[in-house]
Amino acid sequence: MFRVIVKRLLTGVLVMWGAASLIFLIVRVAPGDPVTILLGTDASAEQIAELTASLGLDRPLLSQYLTYLTDVARLDFGRSYLLGQPAMPEVLERVPATAELMLTSTAIAVVVGLALGLLAGSRPGSIVDRIVSACTIALQSFPTFWVGIMLILAFALAFRMLPSAGAGTPAHLVLPSVTLALPFTAIVARLTRTSVAETMGEPYIQTARSKGLTERQVLAGHALRNSLIPVVTVVGLHMGGLMGGAVIVENVFAWPGLGSLIVDAVSNRDYAVVQAATFLIAGIVMLFNLVTDLVYSQLDPRIRLDGAV
Amino acid sequence: MRRSLAIVAVAALALSACTTTTGGTAGSGSTEVVVAGTYPIDSIDPHGPQGGGTGPQMAEQAIFSRLLRVKPDGTLEGDLATAWKSDPTASEWTFTLRQGVKFSDGKPVTAKDIVDSFKRFIDLKGTNSANFPGYTLASTSDTEVVLKAPKPDAAIPRKLAVFFVLPSGVTANDTAFFERPVGSGPFRLERFSPNEIVFVPNEHHYGGAPKVSKVTVRKMPELAARLTALRTGEVDIAWGIPDDQLPAVQGESSLTVQTVQSSAVFTMWFNSSIPALKEAAVRRALWQAIDFQTIIKQLYPQTGTPSEGVVSANTLGFVKQEPVRHDPAAAKAALTAAGFDFNQKLRLQFANAEFRPFNQAVVSELQKIGVQVDLLEKEQAVFTKDLLALNWDINFQQLSNPTLDAANTIGRLYPCAAKRNGYCNPQLDQLLAQAGASADEKERVRLYGEAARIIWQDAVGMFPMAVKHAYAWNKRLSGFTPDPNGLPSFAGLQVGS
Amino acid sequence: MRRIPYVVLAIYALVGGLGPLFIDYNPVRASLEDRLRGPGSQVSTGIAWLGTDGLGRDVLAQVVYGARTSVVIGLATVVVSCVIGVAIGTVAGYFRGWLDTVLARGIDILLAFPAILLTIVIAGAFERSVLVVVTALSATAWISFARVTRGIALSTRERAWVQAARVLGVPRISILVRHILPFTAGPVVALATLEFALVVLAEAGLSFLGIGLPNSAVSWGQTIANGKQYLATAWWISALPGIALSLLIVNIGILGDQLTARYGQRGRRS
Repeated sequence: MFRVIVKRLLTGVLVMWGAASLIFLIVRVAPGDPVTILLGTDASAEQIAELTASLGLDRPLLSQYLTYLTDVARLDFGRSYLLGQPAMPEVLERVPATAELMLTSTAIAVVVGLALGLLAGSRPGSIVDRIVSACTIALQSFPTFWVGIMLILAFALAFRMLPSAGAGTPAHLVLPSVTLALPFTAIVARLTRTSVAETMGEPYIQTARSKGLTERQVLAGHALRNSLIPVVTVVGLHMGGLMGGAVIVENVFAWPGLGSLIVDAVSNRDYAVVQAATFLIAGIVMLFNLVTDLVYSQLDPRIRLDGAV
Repeated sequence: MRRSLAIVAVAALALSACTTTTGGTAGSGSTEVVVAGTYPIDSIDPHGPQGGGTGPQMAEQAIFSRLLRVKPDGTLEGDLATAWKSDPTASEWTFTLRQGVKFSDGKPVTAKDIVDSFKRFIDLKGTNSANFPGYTLASTSDTEVVLKAPKPDAAIPRKLAVFFVLPSGVTANDTAFFERPVGSGPFRLERFSPNEIVFVPNEHHYGGAPKVSKVTVRKMPELAARLTALRTGEVDIAWGIPDDQLPAVQGESSLTVQTVQSSAVFTMWFNSSIPALKEAAVRRALWQAIDFQTIIKQLYPQTGTPSEGVVSANTLGFVKQEPVRHDPAAAKAALTAAGFDFNQKLRLQFANAEFRPFNQAVVSELQKIGVQVDLLEKEQAVFTKDLLALNWDINFQQLSNPTLDAANTIGRLYPCAAKRNGYCNPQLDQLLAQAGASADEKERVRLYGEAARIIWQDAVGMFPMAVKHAYAWNKRLSGFTPDPNGLPSFAGLQVGS
Repeated sequence: MRRIPYVVLAIYALVGGLGPLFIDYNPVRASLEDRLRGPGSQVSTGIAWLGTDGLGRDVLAQVVYGARTSVVIGLATVVVSCVIGVAIGTVAGYFRGWLDTVLARGIDILLAFPAILLTIVIAGAFERSVLVVVTALSATAWISFARVTRGIALSTRERAWVQAARVLGVPRISILVRHILPFTAGPVVALATLEFALVVLAEAGLSFLGIGLPNSAVSWGQTIANGKQYLATAWWISALPGIALSLLIVNIGILGDQLTARYGQRGRRS
């Protein structure tokens, strides 16, 4: 087990190195050089030369890349030219808001998704099953940002029940987290439904029934337990997708998290922040995948970790 | 497993409870006031690089005092100074200091604090310090400070409205100080986070502590959020309400709505340094081609009026100019006569989505006479960089002037040396120099009026609209005065009548 | 019932392809006296069936022109990423070895970023243009194609006829093209449909954030974003293009599911 974790961590380091290099590449290929961005176009030639030298931009590309990698290893991404502060702390400051959003969404998606999946899967082919299936297709297809706007229209403007944007109170959390949760609720529901429907056809379920267990006991005792493994996996594997969804949802609801920071930084070409934030997110996603695999192997002893790549 | 699900759910709830603060502080009966902040407040260091922004300045004027301030009606009022006068050349100004003023920590405000603050203000090179190149402030006694300008400057008193006084000894990046700042303004800072900033009364304020128990400025960059919060009573004061939303807000019985003439004028410079826009005839024709009257009537029925001059009517130095009549046929003819290249695309740049419809309408009008315009909406930082670099053909700005003195706009932006719009006219330079050096207010108005006529007639830019700010506040408040610059003071607020 | 998605998609293709010939729309032209009129209003240019936006521009025309933008970008991206993905996937799957390892690690690295994030960063870094948007979207969209075709190539290379061809000395490229590639066709078509939906969604999201497409392009995402500030007074600007977009995605989704059920295999993409 320990060896496996070490091996996975090493792969993780490799992936993070690749991710950092990819970011380096994108930023270097992009038009507009950092010196002009930092100084403005009306800077004097001496100022430009001085800053170019102090940023090391006059050195060979390979040497710049190596310096960049050592800086990355120390989580130093330089200063945000907009905020005037080191980029990484600025990024970290936004993490709690995004984490709050993602955790709430995950909770909603898992609870509601499991419930819907059980409901549909326990009676495959029934009206309930069809309605749930249709809903899950719709929920997965609707564009998140549009759903968010429609929720604002309904709950903030028409019914005036909830604030339409911003953060600060639990009420502010409702619309963004529901919006973010919807597609993942659908995924969890579909998965649960399939798994429950399969389990219900198994001979041991018949046995359980014949022993006089109520339908509810059968569902809770066997069907639910069996469907938890794929659900845990899918939640873990979709952390990246959830993070991506958060980028858009945060912008719809002016939620002060990582996503709105990144979009602002991209629009302003504040590359230090872009690099720090994307690197951090890549790290988080990777960590989640690792943890998912570990939990997965704990839940189901049949799965051996070293086989899973 | 069910248990771990419960743990996840509880953890999520707990987290949301920890990281959020209680809302609805503006419930009836409390004397707390919640303000919807339109602009971000990233810093409260009045001398720092961001200190001159509208958001920070609103916070700074709550915490710190100034020598002088501009009242909402445009007149000057003493703050730390009780009297001020200049020598005959207007290059040396003497300020008599108010006695017995204390900082929020109880220590007295001395002439040394003021002089040291000015030095810090100049040394840190924030945006507003550019108004004082080579100026020095010295104390002549405990009750008097003297500001010396390298050349005559009659606008000094109004310019000083952006100079805030800190206690002596605050260093350049003194984060510890600005976490618990000490000032002599009406409020004390209680809390400062990215989402909100909380003020409580400064018991030591010379004018008496404000009557409200707490003022919270909550960051709400989204318009919809501000308006919803205003209607639900979650916030008490909001402004910058656009025309499309005003009727709905005016329909709310719990709110007072008022528009106030601001100092802002929609200013659309032409880049006179590019060949296509070098000729005044071309620039005039472009102005003439646009039906601003209709655009204003449709997009800004309540908060816009056609501007009658280069600066707003409530600015010192305003002189009414001849309106530009909309005449697309004449415009087209004039452009053709001047040999204007209709295949060329002009780049119109602006920042802030709020101005998108106006600029789109302008582009549409120009397209009607065959002038192609590329509309470039830029992020604020990029916009400013390109603005200064003259990396545009037409530039849109809502140009405000908190000092309400033409010296700060006409005098600052239009000399050749300013290089702000590619226009250079020695005759104009001379007028501006004279106006800046004159201590006589009437004479200054006359000179700025003459300068403005040249700017207007040579169409250095288009000056289509004077802007009103729409404020709305809860009727439970009294003592609120809308401010023309979007910098209202909260010192006089009271809850309940 | 099974035909419904085909019919709906045909309508979208027709509207997106031919609509612009019948409906005239100039995104630059404002008509202020017609602004913010509700669906069905009489305006200066006729009847605005879906209402007008904040500048008096017809929302129906924006939906039609937006359909064209979405379809064009969606097709271009799917074609590009399909060609790249299939080429890389089959080659890696057939030849195995270091090539395959490099591919696997490369995909791991790309998957460390949420797809939309990488797209935002790439599209935001360059000047706005359709080409940049297609490139940014393709940067992640090829992965699924590569994974699926790699899997197929891996299993097909062990089949008897491939072994036989190898023994007979048929050039490896010919084996790849003649004996392996045809087996990828079914799953790739199924996958392409699903990818098309994802790409159209991603493009709309990008335009909604104001990244990527030039201002002169008409896109559903942009129209929806523009309508956001008029939600309280003119709901139709944001609501109606969103319905058009959702309907398209739902139908592609159903079609994709049908095709996947028929051909099996599916590349996972988070």
